Amino acid sequence: MKYDIISAPSYALVEMSLNEGESVIVEPGSMSWMDTTIKTKTEMKGGLFAGLKRKMAGESFFLNTYTAEGGSGKIGIAPGYSGDIVVKELNDETIYMERGAYLCHVGNIETSATWEGFRGIFAEGMLGLRVSGTGLLFFGSYGDVQEVDVEGSYTVDNGYAVAWESSLDYSIARSGRRIRSFLFGDQLICKYHGNGKLWIQTRSPRNLAAWVHPFRPVQRDNK
Amino acid sequence: MNIKIDTEGAFGSAIVVLEPGEKFVSEAGAMYRASPNVDIEVVSRKKEGQGFFGGIAAGLRAMMAGETYHLSSYQVGGGTGEVGLAPTHQGEVRKVEVGSETWICSGGSYLGSSGGIDLDTQYQGLVKGMFSKEGLVFVKASGQGELLVNGFGRISEVTIGNGITIDNGHLIAFTEGLEYEISKAGGGWISSMMSGEGLVMKFRGQGKILVQSHDPSRLGGVLGPLLPPRKG
Repeated sequence: MKYDIISAPSYALVEMSLNEGESVIVEPGSMSWMDTTIKTKTEMKGGLFAGLKRKMAGESFFLNTYTAEGGSGKIGIAPGYSGDIVVKELNDETIYMERGAYLCHVGNIETSATWEGFRGIFAEGMLGLRVSGTGLLFFGSYGDVQEVDVEGSYTVDNGYAVAWESSLDYSIARSGRRIRSFLFGDQLICKYHGNGKLWIQTRSPRNLAAWVHPFRPVQRDNK
Repeated sequence: MNIKIDTEGAFGSAIVVLEPGEKFVSEAGAMYRASPNVDIEVVSRKKEGQGFFGGIAAGLRAMMAGETYHLSSYQVGGGTGEVGLAPTHQGEVRKVEVGSETWICSGGSYLGSSGGIDLDTQYQGLVKGMFSKEGLVFVKASGQGELLVNGFGRISEVTIGNGITIDNGHLIAFTEGLEYEISKAGGGWISSMMSGEGLVMKFRGQGKILVQSHDPSRLGGVLGPLLPPRKG
């Protein structure tokens, strides 16, 4: 297997060459193009329960396996958003990621949902995605993705964390002082603790959607 | 203070490195990352001696400028710290030196500024404010320091010697001393409207101007009608 990430960081796409018999597991909808030697198989990876948990974490119930059969072949894999893609080699390791960050993987890697507890209600989603095993993992986000080596702690605005190593944990906090928060409506931020790598995105789809909102037509009552 | 601007690709952002005693201010919500020793405080746009209600009044004026009515301010407790700032849209972020020149930003173009910069709102007048897409109120950045602006698409700097015409919606910022008027693009009103250009901003005088390659309200105009209607 060989890969190349082209047109990064704005419109990143994974261009992967598979030898005969090699496969890549891809988030449904993320295959852009492929050679005719690549065959598709749709599976509930890890069984029904794992599929349900994935679904709850904002990922797909099914995952697609693309295998080169009867010769080598190429496949192009890109996420639904315009942005950067990060490649991470996992060596019997676990990383956590936000909903929708997972793109594809090669090797023996499992994806399942994690319960984020009550902090999840206030943060990005109720459930995150736990990715563990040995292999090559590709993930990404809308916007640019920046890697931070956290030593002790680091602050990320809510909605901007993409993924983090399992040696890191986070809690939800308010920015600013309490009285000012009460008056002006403060923002929630994620405080990461520990030592490890953290990936942060530079644009928020939620902010873009909020910006578009006033351009929507206004509903008129016909009564 | 050291400001690193990421210009690679379509998503510009800035990382401001702060030393103890230095202060940086941004539009509230622009911060996407910060080191743990950065103190974040939400402040309303306020002038010295105006008191609490003066602050609210100034905040309301800023709200009319098409910006959120409060700013975030950042200072480091001890040691060096960093804060990352990014706008909503795809596009570039640019650093502008304020000192020998005072800059005036259109409503949504202001991203942040260093502590030595005084921010003030400039009311554009009802006619200009109503007809330009740049908002009723501009943000004036004077004093000494660094100003960060963001644009939708690419940012270009134009030196004006003999006036320039800019399509409504493409203005980011201009130096003080330039005068502008809202005008029709073509000869007559009908041909102006037919040309699709509608209204333009005609600048006179000498100075510098920053323009953005794309007009965000046109993106909004394309996306809005594709979405379900909102409650009025």
